[in-house]
Amino acid sequence: MRVQLAKQLLDRQIVDRDGRLVGRVDDIAFAVDDEGFPYVDCLLTAQGALGQRMGGRVGRFLVGFADRFVDEPPVRIPVALIDRVDTAVRLRVRAADLPPPPVEGWLRRHLIDRIPGANRASG
Amino acid sequence: MRKLLAATLGVLSAIGGFVDIGDLVAASQAGARFGMAHAWVLLVGVLGICAYAEMAGRIAAVSGRAVFDLVRERLGPRVALLNLVASYLVTVVTLAAELGGVALVVQLATGVSYLLWVPVAAFAVWLVLWRMRFELMERVFGLAGMALLVFAVALFALPTDWGRLGHQAVHLSAAGQGWSAYWFLAVALFASTVSPYEVFFFSSGGVEERWSAADLAHARSNVLIGFPVGGFLALSLIATAAVVYHPGGEALDTLDQVAQPVVRAFGGIGLAAAVLAFFAVTFGAALETGLSAAYAASQYFGWQWGKRVSPREAARFHAVLLVSVLLGVLLLLTTIDPVRLTEYMLVLSAVVLPLTYLPILVVANDRNYLGDRVNGRWNNLLGALFLLLIVVVSVAAIPLAIITRMGQ
Repeated sequence: MRVQLAKQLLDRQIVDRDGRLVGRVDDIAFAVDDEGFPYVDCLLTAQGALGQRMGGRVGRFLVGFADRFVDEPPVRIPVALIDRVDTAVRLRVRAADLPPPPVEGWLRRHLIDRIPGANRASG
Repeated sequence: MRKLLAATLGVLSAIGGFVDIGDLVAASQAGARFGMAHAWVLLVGVLGICAYAEMAGRIAAVSGRAVFDLVRERLGPRVALLNLVASYLVTVVTLAAELGGVALVVQLATGVSYLLWVPVAAFAVWLVLWRMRFELMERVFGLAGMALLVFAVALFALPTDWGRLGHQAVHLSAAGQGWSAYWFLAVALFASTVSPYEVFFFSSGGVEERWSAADLAHARSNVLIGFPVGGFLALSLIATAAVVYHPGGEALDTLDQVAQPVVRAFGGIGLAAAVLAFFAVTFGAALETGLSAAYAASQYFGWQWGKRVSPREAARFHAVLLVSVLLGVLLLLTTIDPVRLTEYMLVLSAVVLPLTYLPILVVANDRNYLGDRVNGRWNNLLGALFLLLIVVVSVAAIPLAIITRMGQ
């Protein structure tokens, strides 16, 4: 797959098989193979990853903000799960099969689920 | 009527922009102080918002993507974050003002202080956002807002001198109030017609309604009916204020003074109609700004958003929504005057306008998103001219606010 990383991949929306929104490509993780060639390993999605990529005062603020609320590292999406890349990055799996975004899970448990009607879409 | 029903998303978007609590007062003030001399500002604003809402609607229909989605892809995470922070602040301050507006309307109807109504109004707004179906919400509040037509009808019952109104609209004069105050009010009115949350709401609403390329005509009729209707309502507010207040040049800064022309025309029934209309437009605007704040944040970070999925599947979106409404309530409980609040907000929003409109113009020309539905030559000409105007307004807003001490 031939992709211009900065232009076509970074900051794109990640969408699962059913059209659910998974997150954005906040950063890209590289790995090096046995022969020493670097390759794209994972897409990272989390505020902390975005903050680290942006750097500077704003980036540090985002990282600090993320660290305060969650301990888990960013959600890593292996490149093998990407189905295709057009105006969004489309995955071949469902969002439920990926590790859940930590803040989403926390807010769901502690806030939203406690309000009556949280399970029904209003449409 | 069918056309109008199909265009309620556009109408509600426009109502939140043009005739929310700030504009009920700003437009009436413009009419009272300067007659019809600001009519052209509305005309230009409506033309511009139509051009850009059409692009945003087309992008939503063809690519299924809302505006803030594209801001980050096009401007990069850093500038987009600045835009997010600025737009979020403007939108939440507006939300606060609208909640205050709803409370002021209830005060007008019941005589009980608006501060007591603020939490009730906020809860009602949140409940609608939590439970009501998007399309139903858009129809109920889009159509109820049309009750403002009572102001247009009142013009026929009042001793309106049409020739004089026309003359004021064409021969601009500062009416002895000073040109800097005239231009300050022009900037505020313009900023209100093109508030960023209108396009956030309109394009996200298109995605919520699952527009596809087959709905392009539907999207266009929303734009071409909805926004001009909003502009017409705002224009009739200016006109009634011009007829009733302008000859005397009386100052005007409360909601019951805004309703006065209708009361003078139709008595108690007029007052009831005005109260209903004010309630519908402020409540509608509160819904629009609340949703827009949460749309913008969710779309920047790529979170699941919208009313199509259950709240527990969009926990961050609903959390932002809830926090925004609570922030609005806190802001109001400082007893800050909601009407003054919108005046400050309009200046702030004028400054950040280009950050919203530039990416729309760029993406509307991008074949990756739109295929062969990209902008034509006239779209681009209109878009570019309008962008230039937005930049001028954005640069002029703060100096004008300082020179005139917020339009005094």
